[in-house]
Amino acid sequence: MVLGTGMLVVTSFLAGRLYQLQVAQNNRYKRLSDRNQFDKRVVAPKRGRLVDRASRLLAGNAESYRLQITPLYAGDLKAALAQLGTIVELNDDVIAEVLQKSAEQPSFRPILIRESLTQRELARLAVRSAYLPGVGFEKSLRRIYPQGALTAHVTGYVSPVTESEIEDNRALADLPDLATGKIGIEYAREATLRGQPGNERVEVNARGRPIRVFRDFEPSAGKDVRLALDIGVQQFVTEILRMGNSEPVDMASAEVQRAIANDRDLKLHLASGENMLLRDSLGRITPPESGAVVVMDVRTGEVISMVSSPTYDPNIFTERLLTRDWRRLQEHPRNPLLNRVTAGAYAPGSTFKMVVALAALEAGIISEKTRHFCNGSMDLGNRTFHCWFEDGHGSMNVIKALERSCDVFFYEVALKTGIQRIKNMALRLGLGFPTGIDIPGEKPGIIPSHDWKLATHGVVWTPGETVNAGIGQGYVLTTPLQLAVMIARLANAELAVTPSLQVLDSPPAFEPLDISPAALRTIRKGMFQVTHGGLGTARAHNLSSSLGGMAGKTGTVQVKRITKEQREDGITKNIERPWKERDHALFVGYAPVKNPRYAVSVVVEHGGSGSSMAAPIARATLQRVLQTRDMA
Amino acid sequence: MVNTDQVTFLKIVLRFPWHMLILAGVLVTVGALALYSASEGSWTPWAGRHAVRGGVGAGIMLALAFIDFRILRLWAYPLFIASVGVLVALLFVGSGNGVARWISVGGFTFQPSEPAKIALILALAKYFNDLQPERVRNILTYLPPLVMIAIPFVLVIEQPDLGTALALALGGLTILFVAGMPWRYIGLAFIGVASAVPVLWSQLRAYQKERVMTFLNPDTDALGAGYQIIQSKIALGSGGIFGKGFLMGSQSQLNYLPEKQTDFVFTMIGEEFGLVGNLFILVIYLLMIGAIITASFRVGSRFAQLTLVGIATMLFLYVFVNVAMVTGLLPVVGAPLPLISYGGTAMLTVFVGLGVVTSACIHDRPAPE
Repeated sequence: MVLGTGMLVVTSFLAGRLYQLQVAQNNRYKRLSDRNQFDKRVVAPKRGRLVDRASRLLAGNAESYRLQITPLYAGDLKAALAQLGTIVELNDDVIAEVLQKSAEQPSFRPILIRESLTQRELARLAVRSAYLPGVGFEKSLRRIYPQGALTAHVTGYVSPVTESEIEDNRALADLPDLATGKIGIEYAREATLRGQPGNERVEVNARGRPIRVFRDFEPSAGKDVRLALDIGVQQFVTEILRMGNSEPVDMASAEVQRAIANDRDLKLHLASGENMLLRDSLGRITPPESGAVVVMDVRTGEVISMVSSPTYDPNIFTERLLTRDWRRLQEHPRNPLLNRVTAGAYAPGSTFKMVVALAALEAGIISEKTRHFCNGSMDLGNRTFHCWFEDGHGSMNVIKALERSCDVFFYEVALKTGIQRIKNMALRLGLGFPTGIDIPGEKPGIIPSHDWKLATHGVVWTPGETVNAGIGQGYVLTTPLQLAVMIARLANAELAVTPSLQVLDSPPAFEPLDISPAALRTIRKGMFQVTHGGLGTARAHNLSSSLGGMAGKTGTVQVKRITKEQREDGITKNIERPWKERDHALFVGYAPVKNPRYAVSVVVEHGGSGSSMAAPIARATLQRVLQTRDMA
Repeated sequence: MVNTDQVTFLKIVLRFPWHMLILAGVLVTVGALALYSASEGSWTPWAGRHAVRGGVGAGIMLALAFIDFRILRLWAYPLFIASVGVLVALLFVGSGNGVARWISVGGFTFQPSEPAKIALILALAKYFNDLQPERVRNILTYLPPLVMIAIPFVLVIEQPDLGTALALALGGLTILFVAGMPWRYIGLAFIGVASAVPVLWSQLRAYQKERVMTFLNPDTDALGAGYQIIQSKIALGSGGIFGKGFLMGSQSQLNYLPEKQTDFVFTMIGEEFGLVGNLFILVIYLLMIGAIITASFRVGSRFAQLTLVGIATMLFLYVFVNVAMVTGLLPVVGAPLPLISYGGTAMLTVFVGLGVVTSACIHDRPAPE
């Protein structure tokens, strides 16, 4: 009894205290709650910059002002927004969104109205701020990519933190301003670039305006990352790849406007920011070429240029991505978001012949002198495998077969060597698995074998498939970057070079390549003949001898088999076929011939032939790189 | 003395203190809603788990209804010794913020000082249950129970957890008082405790001393240690009679209020639901404590009676210390609000306590006249 009474007395005492606080002194505390307050905030760190090898800016931070409104202090929100609309541009969607948000969240929480206010808008707002209660602006840093589309596939982009990122790391929930890398270097080097967030307490007045800021803990900025890329080369290579063998047209001419009006494909290209169109050899208006070019230092693995066409403007992602922009990227006929250098998997075609030849030479199956006769085709069982040169190349050794890209020679050699040896050599040259470059989403490609066929298709490997693999067709798939790595290793001859997007202070410790020097010499003789031999497939596109000349290999990859009817109709020329059915054009090479410095790999999607389309691009690229090789 | 009738399933259902379960359910629900608001309108990370733990707790309470209360009397001392053992072990292996309050067993962490409270109540109840009535007035009679209180008290102070230690001591002393300790001894005990204060003070860690000093004058350090008390008072005071509305407490939602999911959950409710909300909670607690005390008059054995009184007192002390703390009447010592604050061990301990009450109500009936 005593106990129960005691408890009641004590509880009434507590209730009295509550009455004192909540009723008697309510006004005082209400005032305190409205005023005086310290809003604890997490301060986003300044993100590290991305610069090219000469310290030119690829990704930086720009000051940006955002407009926000706090409904609690704004009074009539609709009226306040209407008034704001006379000062800055506000469309109805934004107003509807703000009104909806104000219904969903507490009125003391500011709502974002607009990001990236212009200087002009800022000035107009500042002048009128006294008449706009509850309206405030906040300074923040916005990621900018001054090179835009030119380096999009390298830098990637940042965008606001997503729900799934917050699920993985709840600390991100307190950083509404933070943008995180989603792809490219921005993603791969997130840890270096991001920095550490800080803490501050902001004292706000009764109108929600900050009065004083106390920094408890300064944010520490992320570190800059210097890339091996040379923006000048990048620009040059992008232009020549996009133009191919065609001339740009005058966009304003009536003829071009008419062509655009009648062609949905062209319209979609232009909608996503394309500003160049070409006239092909048949006089038709076409979009720029698509494909990939990589240039690599064969000693250090540094990637000097990495171009993937078509591309996109990464700046559209950094704040709120507009659905309009996203839809246009999705509707683009050639998938501009795909980084063709690392994630475009193409049959390597004849550029794979070096792998086959090396495998055979090293295993002693052929020597430099071994000859095979090409009469234009080879029979195997009841199938006939054609050489691209129907009349036949005659008697060929490995050097001549590379020079003229004889298919029959490699059919025979591939059969004798066997797919397993070919596969082993391909792996040693860096094909068949990701190169490990700092770009997420890299494709491994495919280097097939008996086991692979059984595991993926459930049936055994056939000799006919070895024949196809001998000329880099059939199941074989490689990325342009892998082909560049292959060439860099052939050119380096000693080390298994791997690519690096970052400038390296000292050459990394690569594994030894460990391939017979004699065999490598033979292969390189063949690649030399491609550009120097009287019948070389790229003899028309050799690099000037003052720059040391270029060695390489063409590749023309059939995308669609030409039917008998088409042959009879006479539509055998690439240019006459629909774009999607034309052959891919490839060229891989290095320069100078003696003491090689740079490897290049070129893929022009549906570009026709390696020798007429890809080789000139490779030649111009290497020329440009060598002429500017005294760069930083 | 003790009724030995056959307890059938039907009797369990009929004698079950359903009103206590319902009151507990109300408190858990209030807690889940408050925690939902504390995470700005989200079931993660607190509210969802809180609700699940409430369900588990109710299950424990129902399960304990099937345990014969008299078994607890046999196990009272072993349980007490075991809990003291765990507290000792904690001094060596505990983990958590530089203070050794938690212990980790098979992936779960729990605070052994919570179950220690129930073990102490049971041990003291058994001691006085077994005592011959004529020895009640003998001062030596009270020496062993004082030692029984002192051991876990010192161990918990060492952790250091001042709030729980004081609740242990006050709860234990209340049982002595209810057991019939003469007033003059109570006076003596009071003097003893008062004289122990300086000794206790020297045992406190720096941050605890700071908390007490801050309590005495919070405004000296408005951004430091006094911050919690000032912000708590502002949040409560600005709530007024009816509060600012669910999810609308600016103090809590803007993170001015620290520890809003544990020790300061009462403040949060006060800000969003005002005086009405706070009084509602206090009334629910009083009803629950009253129900347990009422039940203590209807049980058969003295053991059961003392146990129930002890549990009621413990519950009351939790509530009192927490509410006094957040209203600025006591220093911030770290005490949860039973069944409402987020925290698994404290909640399950309360449910185990209610389960013990349930077991006593069902199995420990007075013998028919």
